[in-house]
Parts: sequence; C-alpha cells; structure tokens
Amino acid sequence: MLLAAFDWHSLFFMFFALLTCGFAVAMLFSDNVVHMAFYLILSLGASAGLFFLAGAEFVGAMQLMIYVGGTLVLLIFGVMLTAQSRFISMKTRSGEWVMALVLGGSLLFLLLTAAFRVEDWRDGNPNAADIGIAESKTTTQIGMGFTGVRVDRLDAPEDSTLVPGMSGYLLPFVIVSVHLLVVLVGAAYMARTKRRATSTGAAA
Amino acid sequence: MAEFFHTTCSLPTPLAYLVAAIIHCVLIIHVVAVGALIFIWLERKVSGRIQDRLGPTRVGGAFGWLQTLADGIKLIAKEDITPKDADWMLFKAAPYVGFAASYCAYIALPFSDGWVAQHMNTAVFFILAVLGIEVFSPILAGYASGSKWSLFGAMREAAQVVSYEVPLGMCVVVPCMICGTLNLVTIGNQQAGLFTNWLAFNDPFTFVVAVVYFTCATASVNRAPFDLAEAESELVAGFHTEYSGLRWSFFFMAEYGSMFLVSGLAAILFFGGWNGPIPIFQVLGWSESDGVLLYLARLGGCLNFLLKGTIGVVVMMWVRWTLPRLRIDQVMTTCLKYCVPIAAFGFLGALFWQVNELPTSNDLPGIGINRFEARESWVIEADQQRASRAAAVTPSPSDVPIGPIGSVEFDRVEALVMTGGAR
Amino acid sequence: MATQLDDARIIEFDVRTDEMLVNMGPQHPSTHGVLRLVLRTDGEIVSEVEPHLGYLHRCAEKIGENLTPRQWIPYTDRMDYLAGMNMNLGWSLCVEKLIEHDLSEKAKHLRVIIAEMGRIASHLVGMGAYGLDLGTFSPFLYAFREREKILDLFEEACGARLTYSYLTPGGATADLPNGWLQKCSAFLDQFEPVIQEYHALLTTNAIFVKRTAAIGVMSGEMAVDYGCTGPVLRGSGVDYDLRRDGEERYTEMYDGYAFEVIVQKEGHYPKDHDYPAIPKEAVLGDCWHRFYVRMLEVVQAVDLVRQAIDRYSTASGDWGVPIKLTHKLPKGEVYLETEAPRGQMGFYLVSDGNAIPWRVRARSSCFCNLSVTSELCRGCLIADVPAIVGSLDVVMGEIDR
Repeated sequence: MLLAAFDWHSLFFMFFALLTCGFAVAMLFSDNVVHMAFYLILSLGASAGLFFLAGAEFVGAMQLMIYVGGTLVLLIFGVMLTAQSRFISMKTRSGEWVMALVLGGSLLFLLLTAAFRVEDWRDGNPNAADIGIAESKTTTQIGMGFTGVRVDRLDAPEDSTLVPGMSGYLLPFVIVSVHLLVVLVGAAYMARTKRRATSTGAAA
Repeated sequence: MAEFFHTTCSLPTPLAYLVAAIIHCVLIIHVVAVGALIFIWLERKVSGRIQDRLGPTRVGGAFGWLQTLADGIKLIAKEDITPKDADWMLFKAAPYVGFAASYCAYIALPFSDGWVAQHMNTAVFFILAVLGIEVFSPILAGYASGSKWSLFGAMREAAQVVSYEVPLGMCVVVPCMICGTLNLVTIGNQQAGLFTNWLAFNDPFTFVVAVVYFTCATASVNRAPFDLAEAESELVAGFHTEYSGLRWSFFFMAEYGSMFLVSGLAAILFFGGWNGPIPIFQVLGWSESDGVLLYLARLGGCLNFLLKGTIGVVVMMWVRWTLPRLRIDQVMTTCLKYCVPIAAFGFLGALFWQVNELPTSNDLPGIGINRFEARESWVIEADQQRASRAAAVTPSPSDVPIGPIGSVEFDRVEALVMTGGAR
Repeated sequence: MATQLDDARIIEFDVRTDEMLVNMGPQHPSTHGVLRLVLRTDGEIVSEVEPHLGYLHRCAEKIGENLTPRQWIPYTDRMDYLAGMNMNLGWSLCVEKLIEHDLSEKAKHLRVIIAEMGRIASHLVGMGAYGLDLGTFSPFLYAFREREKILDLFEEACGARLTYSYLTPGGATADLPNGWLQKCSAFLDQFEPVIQEYHALLTTNAIFVKRTAAIGVMSGEMAVDYGCTGPVLRGSGVDYDLRRDGEERYTEMYDGYAFEVIVQKEGHYPKDHDYPAIPKEAVLGDCWHRFYVRMLEVVQAVDLVRQAIDRYSTASGDWGVPIKLTHKLPKGEVYLETEAPRGQMGFYLVSDGNAIPWRVRARSSCFCNLSVTSELCRGCLIADVPAIVGSLDVVMGEIDR
C-alpha cells in the first residue's frame, strides 16, 4: 500500500524542519522588531516540535519553557519597554550581512562536520525505526547529570576519570546560568536612564 | 489506540497512528470548545445566581443552555474589524496563539487512567511549558492593537504571568516529588483508594501547597481577582479592547480552556485525579478486570475527573463574582511576598516530611496504598532487575532496601552524591 | 502614594520609559457617565490627571430662565439623576423662599421621608458603582436590588422611577397613597440587615480595604479649600452638614429629629449602630472613609425615615398642596443650599417681577468635589484613578447641567 510505504516520520520531520528554517529566514528578512520576535517564537516552537518528534519530550518541553516561554517573553517585554517609538523598524546593513554570513557559515560548517562524525549517520539512510525512540529515562539522566552525577556511568565506578560528584554537567550548567544572570543585569544596566540625578522635572 | 487500529482493523502502522492522532485531536478540540461553551453558560448561570438573578432562561428551552451557542452565532456574524493603527499580521495571529497553546496543553492531560492523547513521562513539565506560551497571545494582541489601553493590558499580563510561573512551578514540584515522577497518569494512579490518599491530604504542607497552587493558577489564567490584563474598570477591556467577533471569542475559548486545564491539573496533582473519594470501582473489582467493566470503570473515572475540574472552575467563578480586583502592585506583592515564600516553605516542609518518613495519611492502616506499585512499568521492571542483580551479589535479598522511591539506582545515586559532597 | 515621580533619585535609577497621554473617557466603563480624564502616565504611574467636562451640557440653567419655576422642576430631576427627589427639594425650597411660603408640619415630614429615601437610593448606586470601579460586580446588583424597591415606592407615590418631579413649591404633587407608609416601614425593616451584607462584601473586605485605605488622602483643610461638600467633606473629618448647619428654612425640616452628623470625631464615628471597625490601614480622608461615611449615612437615613413616618402619620395639616404659581413672582434674589446626597446643592434665583425668573443658576456639589481629582491622583497608579474618582461619587448630569 502506498500509505504504508510512505515514510511518515520523515514527512513530519521535513514539516517541522521546514517550519523552523522558514520562520528563521522570515525573521532575518523582517524589519520589525516585534515581527522578528514573533517569527523567532514560531521557529523555536517548531524546533521544539522536532524534539517531540524525536521522542525527547523533556528537551522539547525545556525548549518551550526556557526559550519560548522565558527568554522571548523577556525579549518582547524589553522591546515594549524600551522601544523609542512603536513598531520600530530595523534595516540590516550590508556589512552586517557579510559578518552574519561568515559567522553563520562557519557555524554551519562546524555542525556539519560534527554531524558527519557520528558513525551511525554516515552509512546511507538510517531507518528511524532502527534507531528507536529514546528510552524514557532521559529526565533522570539529564537531571542527575546537571547536578553532577552521571547515572549512565554508575556501573563503572572504578574508572579513574570519573570522580563521583564531579563528572556531570554541574560546572557548565552553573556557568550558563551565571552567564544568563550577567546578561540580564547587563541588559537592565543598558536600558537604565542616563539622566543625572540633579535634572529635575524631566519626567514630570 | 493506534495499536487497536493496527491489530483489529489491520491498518498499516503509519495510517493507524494518523487515524488515532486525528481522533485524539478531534476529541480534545471538543473538550476545549464544547467545554468553553458549557463553562460560559455555567458562568452566566453561576454569576446570575450569585447576584440574585436568573441568568439565561430562554434559548434552548430549560435553563437557557443554548445561550452560548446563540452568542457564538452572533459573534460569527459580527464584523471583523482591524483598527487602522494595528499591526495587521500580529493582530490577526494573536488570538490563535493563545488558543493553540491552551489546546496543545490538553494533549498531555489525562482524563482517566490511561485516557490521554499522548502518554508523556514529563507531562507536568510539558503542560507548564505550554501554558507559559499562552502569555504571548495577550502580549502580542496588546502590542499589535495600536491602542494604549491594550498596551497597558499587555504589559500587565506579561509582568503578572511571568511572575506567577515561579510559585506555580514550585507548587507543582511537590506532588511530583512525593510520587517520584512527572507522569500525570502515574501521579493519578498513585492516589487510588480512599480520599485520604489524595496528595492534598498527604501531610499538612501539601495541603498548603494545594491552596497556593490554586491561587497561582487563578492568577496565571488571568481570572479575578487577578484579571488585571482585562480590568474593565481601568483599561476598558485590556488587551482585547480592539477585538470583535470571532477573533475575540478565541480569547475567551482560550481563557476557559486554560481554566479547566489548571483546575484539572490541580485535580490530578492534589485531589486524586480520576479516583473518587470512595474507591467504588476498586471494591467492585472493575478496575482490575478487562473489557467492558474496565471501560466502565475508566468512564466513571473520567466523569470523576471532569467533575473535579468543573468544581475548580466553579470555585474560580465564585471568587470572581465575590471579590474586588487587586491593584498591579498588590498582585505582585501577593506573588513575591506571599505565594513564593509559602510555596517554598511548603516545598521544604513536604521534603522534610518525606525525607524523615513522617507519618502521612497514606500510612493509615488498611486504607493506604503502596505508591511505588503504581509507578510506570519500566521503573518497576528496572527495579526488579536491579534487585535481582543485587540479590546475586549480596547473600540475603532482604537487605536490599526498597523505600518509598524504592529503586536501588536511586539509593546508589544518593550515596554517590553524599560521598562526592564529602570530598 | 508610595510612588512619587518628583523624586529625582527614583528617576535616576529607573528604566527609561516613555510617557503616555491616555484618554480615560468620555466612553470609558468607569467614568460615571461622560467624564473625560486625560492621564499622563509613566508606565502604571499617573503623573497628571486633567478632568474635562461638558459632554452632558444641556443648558438647563438657560432653560430655567424661559420657564416658570414649576415648569423647571423636571429639569432639576435631570441634574443629579440618581437623586432626583433631592434636586426637586432644593429648587422647591428656593422658590418657596422667594415667595415666602411656609409649609405645614405634615408636608415637612413628607419631604423628610422622600428626601432621606432618595438619599438611600442615591448612596446605594454610589456604593454599587464604587464596587464596579474596583472590579467587583455583585455588590452593584445587590445595591440595585434594594434600590429597585425604593423606586417602586417612589413610583407608587409619583408615577415615575427616575425623573420624579414630585416635590414642588408648596409641598408635593400628591399625598402619599394609602398603605404607602406600611410598605415603606416594611422595606426599611427588610433593608436594614442587608446593609451588613454590603459591609461584608465591600467595607470590611480585605481586598477592598487594600484598594481604598490610604489612597487619595485629602486633608480637611484641602477639602474646605476646594469647596468639597457632602460625604467627601465629612470623609475628611470636617463636621459640617447642612441638615444641621444650614439655613433655617431647610433645617426646620429636621427640627426634633434625633440624628448626628456622620463624621469621624476623636477617632471614631457616632456609635448609635453596630458599625464595622475602621481598619488600621485607613487614614482619615482616604477613599475608604469617604465610602464609609456614605454607608453610615444610609444607616442613618433609615433611622430618619422611621422617625419621619411616625411624625407624618400623627402630624396635622395638609400634605402640602402645590402652589400654582400663576401669578407673577415677587421681585428679589434668593439663594438656598440643601444637603443633597452628594453634597451641597445650591439654587440661585433672581426675579425681576415676572412669572418667569430672570436668572436661574445651580451650584453643583459634584463640580467642586471633582475639582480635587487632579490633586489627589498625582503620583498614583492607573488602577487608583477609578478608585479615587469613584470615591468622590460624581454624577456628570449635575456637573454639566
């Protein structure tokens, strides 16, 4: 049967991937800050869909909660609070295009080389069914990994490279969160008014 | 359900999944849309009775139960106006964002034991994440309307919802911690038996947390006394001032959809989900049987759950028609000075209770259940495997500790964390 | 008013935001008709409020210069349309003062009954609408439920429910119908316990107290300076009520009645009823006190009506047959103020000896009460603007005339 022969998994993958990329491009070519944010929401939401498709519900929900629900709300809030006029529009200069292309190209190159290093992916067309939906223990493993314990390595405690409590992702996790905090403080500082305390009646 | 189509109707696997998915979608959209229909009618009736009025009485015969439908037809017939100053694209898109988010969250909400569109091991987390997206609808609507009142509403909404996500998340963590899972079906099943097994009555702290959860949930779906984003006496109609017709009604459907969602979540997390106060179906043995009896037991559970969710919604209505509205700074104070500390205190208290294995209502002789038995099958299997492995190493299997969480894996992890901390 | 914009230090450390100029009204749910407030806001903080008037101007005073005093009675109904009876009373007394007509005892008691019932009806709207301003709908309907009963009584007496034209120079257009007094007493007996309901829903409600206590605080001096009257003035602790301190022609209506002016003296209100306690957050002169004074006046009006019913049924004389006013008015100039529910309502009449007055003017209490808005709202939050304006309880029909 034709329907049976059709690779539905790939179809949905293509669908979400197209959404992700399409909205990302739309964001690039939009010149309205709030439109950009809206496209970014859709793009990130679609990439969360990709995660769900891969069976990584936790990561997908994480994507929604942190990027879509958290960061972008702050972003839109920031735009609304600080925009000098409503519907502010931005034009990208040609110099910025070049720089973005160089940066984006090198990132793409890096990702492609990294992706092709994975042996399973190199030989031909892997069947999604063979890889299988990830086992449902990801929550525990990732959570424990963030707090410094590699659950997947518990059966090899003699390995000297794995110091208990130190082998997880605690340090990167903390660094990232501190980084986020710094960014927020910096944003608040930059948005702060530069008026001097002695200037009176400026706001009244 | 996909297996059913695959095996019984001998459909090919992808098609079976597709059919199952479509059926689920249609079912959920009916829950949201028909639910909104009923809740809007109910709100009119409830508010009418609270205010010494009759509410709708005519449309559809007795009790005016078709009133909302009549209003829906009116809304469809209304002109869809976009203000001149509006940002056309966002203005059109904003109502659907909210509705889609509210609708999406239902995917992970179980209506009875196993009756859920998509089994998710992280269902609680998923629902919270999707509810967080709903805030975009008022923000974008307010921003795109090109009206100052709408903008005020949007700013209030953003500030309020983002703040209330914090205590809400804290409260949700507590039942997950006691049950040791984020899977809503498991959490529901762990509260089987008498109502004393419901997590709200587990220990004093969980009850406090349940109350705080409901407060924060009311705030996060923008219901009075926290309905600042649409405060009609201050901001005309807040973020939906400029909307009309069907587009406006989408905001309402999203609001009522989320109201039932958070009430249903409260029912599952704290009030036993689909388990009634008295376990009739368990006593009859239907829930352990199969075939029609099991189906009936689950149908009863579903009605139970719908009833609990509706009670939550009615309480929200009751509050709305009784209390004055808070001011924006007071809403923030309520969140930051009351809800967050109480939620944190409740969380710590429940944690303390759990760690020290203080007596819970679940320990009552004869009526308590072993919560671990209701865990997901893979957890039980993994536990059995590890227990047998441990039994092979240690001479006496009775030494293997099986606590409330029960898994050897967790015990070992705990030990590792302890020693790692010591170094 | 915790947030003051004038504080330069706050501006320095704040995130820079744009100011917005927002129109609150004339088509706004909480501006009591067609009041237009122009707010200058910085985020949620209001830095300036400017009331604009005139959207309900109907040239009532000019019309009064083309009609006989009796013909003008319906126009007074439409001034403070929530307390039409009290408007009728003010104008009637003013005309009676010009023609020096004295009423019988019975007519005076009838007027007290009607005026105090009008006060209850008016304050019920003020209370309910204030609840609406603060975002609670039910008290509004509870208030209207009781007000409807008063309007039923009024309808029985004069045939109208809103624009009564009942009290006229000379007395009233008709005597109270048979059995009216019994119905009125029955209503009062039923109504008195309901007041406790309002106290539970509003006066003592924690959220209500939070929204109104220490908001829009107006000192007694300021209230006097701006010419505020009525509950707005007494809410600031100024002991002044025309029913006691007014002109002889008006106060003689209340001669022999036991009543105290509702005002906070030495930290408490007159204690002849079981009042709810004053919350500790409340400051004299804030929105809560203005509201509270109105609530207590309702209780007191119930008392006054009861006394008046007793006296009316035993008093001698007629109910006050209307003067036809077919003859020319005496030459002269009169001004008389009465204590209407919203404050002192004054009517000014100049006659050049014709049947039609040469000049008619009205002094509106709401106009003066409203004038404090911009002062009280400076530096408050947007949500406080309806709370403050609502506590002043303005009726635009009276301001614009």
